[in-house]
This record gives sequence, C-alpha cells and structure tokens, in this order.
Amino acid sequence: MDQRVKEHPVDPITVEVVRNAIVAYADEMADVLSKSAYNMMIYEVRDYCCGLLDTQGRMIAQNRGGLPIFLADLGVAVKDGIKRYGLDGFAAGDVVVMNHGTVCGQHLNNVVVYAPCFHAGELVGFAATRAHWVDIGGSRWGFSYNATSDVFAEGLQMRSLKVMQAGEPNETLMQILRDNIRSADAALGDLRAQTAACQIGAQRFGELVARYTRKGVADCVSLVWEQADKAVRQVVAAIPDGRYEAESFIDNDGFNLDRPLRVKVAVEISGACMTIDLSDMNPQVESSVNSGRSGGIACARVAFKALTSPDLDVNEGCFRALDVVLPEGTMLSARPPAALGQWSIIMPTVIDTILKALACAIPDRIPAAHKGDLGGCSFHGVDDNGAPFLLMNIFGGGWGGRPHGDGASASMSVCQGDVRNTPVELQEIKYPFIIERHALRPDSGGAGRFRGGLGVELTYRCLCRCRGNLGFDRTLTPPWGLAGGHDGVTAIGIIERADGTVERVLKATGLAFEPGDRITFLTAGGGGYGDPALRDPDLVRADIDNGLVTREAAERDYGVRCADAASASTDPPGALAAQ
Amino acid sequence: MNIVGVDIGGTFTDLVGYVNGELVTSKTSTTPADPTLAIARSLDIARCAPSELDEILHGSTIAINTVLERKGARTALITTEGFRDVYAIGRSNRIEAFNLFFERPRPLVDRALTFEIPERMKADGSVLVPVDERALERTIAAIDAAGCEAVAVCLVHAYANPAHEKLIGAILRRRRPDLFVTLSHEILREYREYERTSTTVLNAFVGPRVDGYLGRLEGYLGGADFTGQVRIMRSNGGVMSLRHAREQPVTMMESGPVAGMIGAGRLASLLGLPRAVGFDMGGTTAKSSLIADGVPAIETGYVIGDRATGQPMQLPVVDIVEIGAGGGSIAWIDAQGGLHVGPQSVGADPGPACYGKGAGLAVVTDADLLLGRINPARYLGGDIQIDPPAARSAMRRAIAEPLGLSMMEAARGIVRIADAAMSLSVRSVSVHRGVDPRDTALIAFGGAGPLHAMSIARELSISQVVVPKLPGAFSAYGMLMASWRQDFVQTLIGRIGELDATQVEAVFAELAEAGREQLRRDRQGAGTADFRFYADLRYAGQEHAISIPVEAPHQLAGDHGDLRIRFDREHARRYAQSAPDETMEIVSLRLVVTAARDDTLAERWLSEPFVAEGDASAGLRDVVFDDPDTPIPTPVLWRPALKPGMCISGPAVIEEANSTTLIHPGDEAVVTDAGHLVVKVAV
Repeated sequence: MDQRVKEHPVDPITVEVVRNAIVAYADEMADVLSKSAYNMMIYEVRDYCCGLLDTQGRMIAQNRGGLPIFLADLGVAVKDGIKRYGLDGFAAGDVVVMNHGTVCGQHLNNVVVYAPCFHAGELVGFAATRAHWVDIGGSRWGFSYNATSDVFAEGLQMRSLKVMQAGEPNETLMQILRDNIRSADAALGDLRAQTAACQIGAQRFGELVARYTRKGVADCVSLVWEQADKAVRQVVAAIPDGRYEAESFIDNDGFNLDRPLRVKVAVEISGACMTIDLSDMNPQVESSVNSGRSGGIACARVAFKALTSPDLDVNEGCFRALDVVLPEGTMLSARPPAALGQWSIIMPTVIDTILKALACAIPDRIPAAHKGDLGGCSFHGVDDNGAPFLLMNIFGGGWGGRPHGDGASASMSVCQGDVRNTPVELQEIKYPFIIERHALRPDSGGAGRFRGGLGVELTYRCLCRCRGNLGFDRTLTPPWGLAGGHDGVTAIGIIERADGTVERVLKATGLAFEPGDRITFLTAGGGGYGDPALRDPDLVRADIDNGLVTREAAERDYGVRCADAASASTDPPGALAAQ
Repeated sequence: MNIVGVDIGGTFTDLVGYVNGELVTSKTSTTPADPTLAIARSLDIARCAPSELDEILHGSTIAINTVLERKGARTALITTEGFRDVYAIGRSNRIEAFNLFFERPRPLVDRALTFEIPERMKADGSVLVPVDERALERTIAAIDAAGCEAVAVCLVHAYANPAHEKLIGAILRRRRPDLFVTLSHEILREYREYERTSTTVLNAFVGPRVDGYLGRLEGYLGGADFTGQVRIMRSNGGVMSLRHAREQPVTMMESGPVAGMIGAGRLASLLGLPRAVGFDMGGTTAKSSLIADGVPAIETGYVIGDRATGQPMQLPVVDIVEIGAGGGSIAWIDAQGGLHVGPQSVGADPGPACYGKGAGLAVVTDADLLLGRINPARYLGGDIQIDPPAARSAMRRAIAEPLGLSMMEAARGIVRIADAAMSLSVRSVSVHRGVDPRDTALIAFGGAGPLHAMSIARELSISQVVVPKLPGAFSAYGMLMASWRQDFVQTLIGRIGELDATQVEAVFAELAEAGREQLRRDRQGAGTADFRFYADLRYAGQEHAISIPVEAPHQLAGDHGDLRIRFDREHARRYAQSAPDETMEIVSLRLVVTAARDDTLAERWLSEPFVAEGDASAGLRDVVFDDPDTPIPTPVLWRPALKPGMCISGPAVIEEANSTTLIHPGDEAVVTDAGHLVVKVAV
C-alpha cells in the first residue's frame, strides 16, 4: 500500500478506485435482490433500488439499472430511523423496515429495508433497498386500482420498525405481516431477499472503510459528488436563462371521470441553477392519484437527470444544482391521510411537461411527447384448479419524434427504464388466458418530419372468470407533437364481451370478465417532430411497405401517394386497430 | 496424432498445434475476403501439411462479425398470426434509462419480410388452430418475390410442441431447397418468444454466409488431401462437427474468448484446484471467468453487440465478464478533473505512446513501461521498437501535469486504477456464483495478465496465482483441449412434488434421445460420451432459476429430499439466504452431452516435464511497486531458463517472448515440473 496515498486520501487515483467500488457494491446488492426476489415487480419491472448511505442519510452510491424514479431518495426513510433510534441506537445485525406513507410519500407497497454498517464497532453508514411488494394488505389488489380514498385503506404501514434486532427476528412483526398480506409467502421472500442484499452491501462497505478509513472514503465520496455537481452545472449553464412554462392535463383521478387534473410546471434557469416550480400543480385529489413530496421531487429529478447527466451514476451530487418548489397540498405533495396507491401514474406526464417547457430554450435536445402513462394491466381471480392468480403485465408505447430522428416504438415510459414486458408464452403458462395478438399499432405514431414511435396492441381472451383493472390516460392532452409535428394517437382499452357487446374503457377498477371475453389494450403512439411535409418521401414509403403507416394516412398526413400497388401491405386485418 | 487449432480474429489468424510431438505456432494477417487463404498461409508458416493432420480445430469471428456488421443474408421471418411484431417489440425495455434519445435493438429482419401464418399451439402443447397451408403457399411466393436467402420460423409455444414448425419447415425445405431454413425448436426448446425469435433469426441471418465459408474451407482442405476431422469452436466452450456448424452457426457466435478459459480449466484440474478464476488480459480488454472443478461457468443468454442495442441470444455461453482494461486502455481526465482508465483503447494502431506513432495518449502499457515493469528491448519479443521518451512525454502532458502529479505518480496511479477495476471484475465472477474469491486461485494469461495478476490477487486476498507456460499463446492453445459438447433444453414447468412421473420420464428420454442422435450425426462414439442433466429450479414465485445437477427422473417426480437440500444450499451460497420450507418449482430440464477428446496431446503438453534452456539471470532493473518515488532494484529473469523446482522470491521480473510476470516483494514463485509458475501471494 502506498503510504502517500494513505496520508492524502483524496488523490485522484483513490477517488477513481472508490468511485468504481461503491457502485459495484450497490450493483452486487441489486444482483442478489433481483435474482432471489419473489415477485415480478422486482425481477421484471425492476421496481427497486439499492444503495449505500452515510450516517446522515445521504446517498453514497446507487445501483445501475433500477427504476429511474428512485433517484437518491432512500435518505428520507433512513433519516426517519436515525431520528427514532439515534445513531447509537443501531446494532450489528439490525434490519429496519419502513414504508410509512407520510414520510416516504409513495404507495405502501414500496418497502424500504436497510441495515446499519459497522466498522470496528463504529456505525459508518447504511445499506438500503427499496422494493415493490406485490401486496401490502388493505383493499388494493394489482395495478391501476383507483378505489381507495385514504392511506389506511391501502395496507400496513411500518414506520422504522426493526424486523431483526441484533440478528434476532422480531416474531411479532413477522406474524403481523403473515396475517395481513395476501401473498405473504412472496412478501416474506422479498423481505429475505432485501435483507440479504442489505447485509452484503453493509459488509462490502465495511471492507471499503477498513481499507481506506472512514474519512478517506468520505473524502473520496464528497469529491465524486462535487465532480458530478460540476458536470451538471456546466450543462445547465449552457441553457439560456429564463422562466419557461408548460401545461398539460391528466384525464381524471379515476373517481371523478369528468374532472381533468392540471399539470402546470415552470422551469427557471438562472446561470448554473435550475428551479423546477410545481406550485401550480392540481391540488391533491380524493382518489389515490397522489404522492407525497418525494413524488414531486422524483419527477423533477428524472427530467433534470435526463437533461444534465444521463450517463453519470446516481448520487447526491447529481441534484445539487436543482431546486424544486413544491408547496404542500398538491397531487405531488399530498397531505396525510391522502391515498397514495397510484402515486406514480402521473409522473410520465409531469416529466413530459417539464421537458416541453424547455423545448423553446433547447429545441434540439427535447423530443416530442411520449405515450405518457405507465401502461400496465392486471387481472385477478381463481383459476379452474381453485388457485388464486394475479396477472400483471406492463406494456410500452410510442416515444416522441426527435429533433434528428424518429421516435422509438413500443418502449417503456420515461419512468421505467430496464423494465420488461412479460412474455406471452410465460403468461399463458401461468394464467388462464389466451393472448391472441401482440403487435405494433399502425398509424399510432404522430406524423412529423420525424415520426412518433408506435404504440402496441395486445389482446387477451379470458378462459375463466376474473376481474381486471385498466389505467390509461393522456387522452385530453395526447402525446403532443413539437415543431409542427402531429399528436400521437391516444390509448384505449376495448372490451368485447362473449355476447358481442363492445365497450371502450380508459380507467376502471375491478371490471368483471367472463370466459370468452376479450380485452384489447391499445397504447398510445408518440408525438411527431417537425412538419410532416418535410419528411423524406422514401421514409414514408418505407413506413408504408413495413405497414407502420397505412396508405390512407400517408396521403392524408404526408401528402405521399403510393401508387405502387405491389408494395407489400401484408398487414393482417387488424380489426381493432382500424377502429 | 497431429492436431492444430486455427483461430481467425479480426486482425490476425493464429495457429497453434501439436505436430509430430512438437508444439507449433504461427500468426498471419486475416484475409477477410476469403479467410481460407489465411488458414492456408498459417499452415504454411507453421510447416504443417494438411495431409499429415488428424484434426483441425477452428474458431472464427465470421458469425459474430456478420451480425455486428449487419451483413448477413436477406432473411424472412415466419411467425404465428397475431405475433408479427414480437421481434420488433422485444421486451420494450430501455437499458439507457435516462437517455431521451435511447436506442433499442434494431431487428435484423424488416417488418415487410415478417409473415404471419394462421396456426396456434397452446402452452400445454395442444393445438388451438391448425396450420393454414394455403397461407404458407402465399408466404413462400412472397419470400421468393423478395429474394430472400434465409428463413427463420418461430411459432408461439413451439418449444412445447414443435409439430407446426416441423410441418412448415418440411414444406419450405422441400419446396425451396436452396433457402437456409432455421426452425426455433431446432435451436432451443425454451419458452420466451422474443429471445427465441431473436436467436432463431440470428442463425438464419448468418447461416448462408457461414455455410458458404465453411463449404469453401471443406473444399480447400479436401483439395489439400486433408482426411481428418474438422471441429468448430462454439460459445459453450465445446466443439461441433463442421456439418453441425453449417446448420447451427449461431452456436459459434461467442467462441473467440472461450478457448483460453478451456485451457485454464484443464490446468486447474491438473493442478488440483477445485475453484479458480481464469484471467486473460490482452491489449483492449480483460476477461474473467469462474472455473469450478475444471469447467468454466456457463450462462444461458447473452447479447450480441452492445448491451442496449445488441441482439439477444438465448443459448449457453461460457460466462466471461469482460471489461475495457487492457494494455492499450487509455487514461483520460474528464471535464471535472476525474481520472479514468478505459474503456477506450488505442488498438494496435497507433498503439501505446511508447510505440512512438505520435497519438500522445497515455495507456496502461506506457505506465507499465515507465514503472520499469516492461523491458523496452524485449517487448513482444523485440518485434516492436519501444520509444520510452514518447511514453514519458505522453504521461506528463496527458495526465501528470493536468492533475498536478509527478510522472511516476501518474503512471503508478493508472496501474492502480486498472488493477482495481480488474479486481472488481474478477470478484464479480466469483461472488456472482456464491464463491468467495479468497477460496480461488487466479490463473493469469494473455500478454498482460501475468504482469497485473499479483496486485489483483492481493486486492482480493487471493493467495495463489498460476501463470501457465507460454501465457501469451495460452488462449489460442486452449482450443486444442476443447471437447465435443452439445447443450439441450426443454421447458418443463411444475411444482416439485406435483409433477407427473410419466411426463418427467418422457422429457428425460426425449432429451437423451436428442443427445444420442446428435452424437450419431457428428460421428462421436457414444461410449466416450457423458450425459449430464440439470434441473432449473427456483422457489415458487421466483423468476430466476438455478441449474442443479440431477441424475434421474425420480429425483424430480419421486423422493426429492436430496435435490431439495442441494437447491437450498446453492441458493444460500449465491444469495445469502434460503427457504427450506417453501415450494420448489422446476422451469426447464437441461442436458449437456460431452464427448472426451480421443487424444490428450494438448493436455499432455500442459503436464509434460519442462526442460529449461539458457541463462536465467538478466541483471537488475529499477521497478516501481508501491511508492512511485522509490523504485526497487529488481532481478530480471529469463523464463525459458527457469528450472523446475526453482523458487523465486519477489521482487522479480520474469520475462519471456510475449509476456512478463511481475513478482512483488513478499511474493514467492515456484516453477512446477511442467514449467508453470505458481505464485504464493503475500495477502
């Protein structure tokens, strides 16, 4: 070991070594969590994050590849525990669980589990994970459940409770969990996976501290934060100063279907600082489409990160140049006991709107709007063998056209990164459904010089009685075009009953289905970018040949006639797509 | 027995062989237009007449390059009605989560060339809709009209019942014998329609080009009176017949980096090392793989190309973690003053600053040179003229001055960063499988591996490092030890304890028959073959499964107490927890068939007594180990002259033609009877 390095721990070399190590540790935690988790929200949806925090609850490092909306926000959960127990109130072998609505601001399914990390008897930090449990008790069941109006109906709240105390399990708490949660085996399995991940993180961080001393690691980490901050400020400084505003609407809160909800944002750039002002957001609502303050912060941070440091690892330093103005009482800063079950569903729209506000300031870095919802379906019931089932799937949709190219089709929302749809074959193996169609949705991408991406189309046929929830949005302000591009086509759910009746539904909770009923989910396309008349006619023709744009739409939107009857329009008659 | 292995890389074609009891090697430039020319030349240079050879083992990047360059056949895809877009939709995930301009995998087949056929299987393998043969006729006409050379067929639930794929395949092959037809169930019988489609398309896309190339190779060898066997390297660490490679070229996709790991596996067995990490550091990357009981770890599923936009391939691949840290990795400073090493590399041209070609970029090799760890006079056997002043000036200008460090501090720092990054990668391959790195030995090879291995080992508290003889050529040499191998998989989903014994027996029997059939087709004697079954198990509710060895159907369908213990233990080892009371579930049954090599020439070389030649001592040189300002006068030794049994106490530099081994102060190296170095690292 180089003596000089020991004496001056903040040399650039040690900083780089520590920088790489802390993220590798967080990634190792994520590997353990996702590989041994019991529910698809963790292993497919990646609805989790893992990280190392210091004794003030600040994020030292976070894993790569978790859900984008979890940005350096484990701190509030850990700080609550520090307040409760004091820094000397933790022992090696403690494991704390935390999902309190008021403190965490997210739906109760998001359970934070963390463990203190000791070196030579001294508390040096925490290893923490947050993961979405498939159930947490209460009346909510599956995605898109809109029927709660306060947080108490939404399940168990555990505020900084030690589920393990110095290695001894808290049997009382375990019993409460077992008796109050629907799929208790899965929840307890996830708790085990989270605990193991935290213990590994705590051990690794302890090893790092042993190697470079507590101060050495802290000095390196603060330099890593400073470097991230510097990089971010350079980007912000290049945006012209000014106050930029934009507005859009969420269709409704799922309760009052005729009452749109306002999403109004202002972005202020002043030198190297950005302020995102969410004061004019719609007030909190009666249903569960609310989040606590952390939801508003998450929206602002996702937009900010995408604009300023998409490639940097997530840590505290990435957000120092961002100020968020968010008074209490909005949909993104709801007062207790607001229901929080649908806490994240408005986020893609809020983020889209923040980006739109900046479109006039930095036009070549803002794409047109994307599909704008979280796009999931969920069915539950009891199959013919008497076994209860819960099917959940998440779909992609169209992303907006870009200043220099077409938008991506069938892609997860801005709030969902490496989230994967569930294979059709897997769904049919596990659940009583036949999936008749999984396809792109022609003509759904907004026309433009650069076309919006296409939504998807997915048809389920029920084989047994069940109930399902739908949660589509963004029809009042469809995925908008930019710079003269057209809007994308909005989402819709179409139910064809076995008796031939057809209903069109956007949001619904607990719809009853009978065998033979068909439900088709059509997700939105992205907005177009630029005047469609400027689109390269060869690209229009290629879109026609590939069946992404129909001849009629090509003529209508692009003024391109395709006389060549031989070009392959081999698209099967997508009866529903044509409606 | 005379055997040679020829590996065609992007730049060089390397040959290693064991001919008339002698080790032969040669290296020549790859000839992309007709790679057989380079093969002929490499045989010439090595003075090997094809007529005297019994076996040629061949690895090639042709399949993977065809994909990376997107220069494969015009390919059509046939799918089940309603599922035309499975391939374009993929899993809808965005790996680059915060990139508003993210890219996703670009299909290798246009939507216009993707055709739906009315037909449908259910998940249990029963028929929901029979094949519409008239629709198939129309599709064949459209494929003709589009001028396709290859067709991939991937139907929903074909893994459960391939009857419809077989029917469509038979019609296509009969009607259009010149089309290269790939049916998904012939490649893999595992659920997940997107990954299976992508794998099937990859095979079809590269098929005609690889088939043409291997045909030419066969023609050339036949013309040169070669009468032996040709074996093609595959990603799973085994080899297959030339005919099989022409049918399933997708299985040779990632064969390049695996040969060295096969060699490391054999060496681990010979030295009695139950757990080792193979570590291969070359010019651009460092590769690590866990080796348990002499076999490199296998992972199912891989992405061809980069992580965000590459093409998924759902087949077994030797699990190699590769990071951008090699001799040519560039040290650079970001806009905020942070120092980084790699992943960009200078490549062979312009090469490190010390090549004197004027790029002015400081790379790991320059740092090693300035620290006295590399001998400028003997670098790469003296073939390349080294220019130390150029390295010094690049180090100062690019790194030291901007950061306010001395030149030596900068050089030492670059090596520390690279070593730390490589140790994270070595650690990840072991902890990923629940193995504590301290319980492994590091087997280091590649041109730069032995130079960096001791610090990596120390970083991870690994107490033993093995440096095989000829570490620079070891990777290519590993190919000569590859066995015939074929992997089979069959989806079989159910809870352990509730499985139907007849069904389980049927799946075992079906896989075993497929294995025997493949042995027959590849003319492998069944007597030497080894059949191993694995059950992919998980706790009910989990997604990720772990492969656990099973011997017979009754372990799954009957008394499964022993399997239960094995699974719980493995789960606890990998994920630090287990749940012995919970229901266990099987997802797939796998079969790995291997056939041991008839000859053991290459393995014999690994263990045959080493005969030292020449004078070992080459003087003293100042080498920087830890303190950049205090170089240590270090003995320099010539490896070919080191006698078996010799002990070398660090510090020492052990040089040979294509590699340098650095023994740090406190470490002890011993030369084994076969000439390998076994280093005891002071941890």
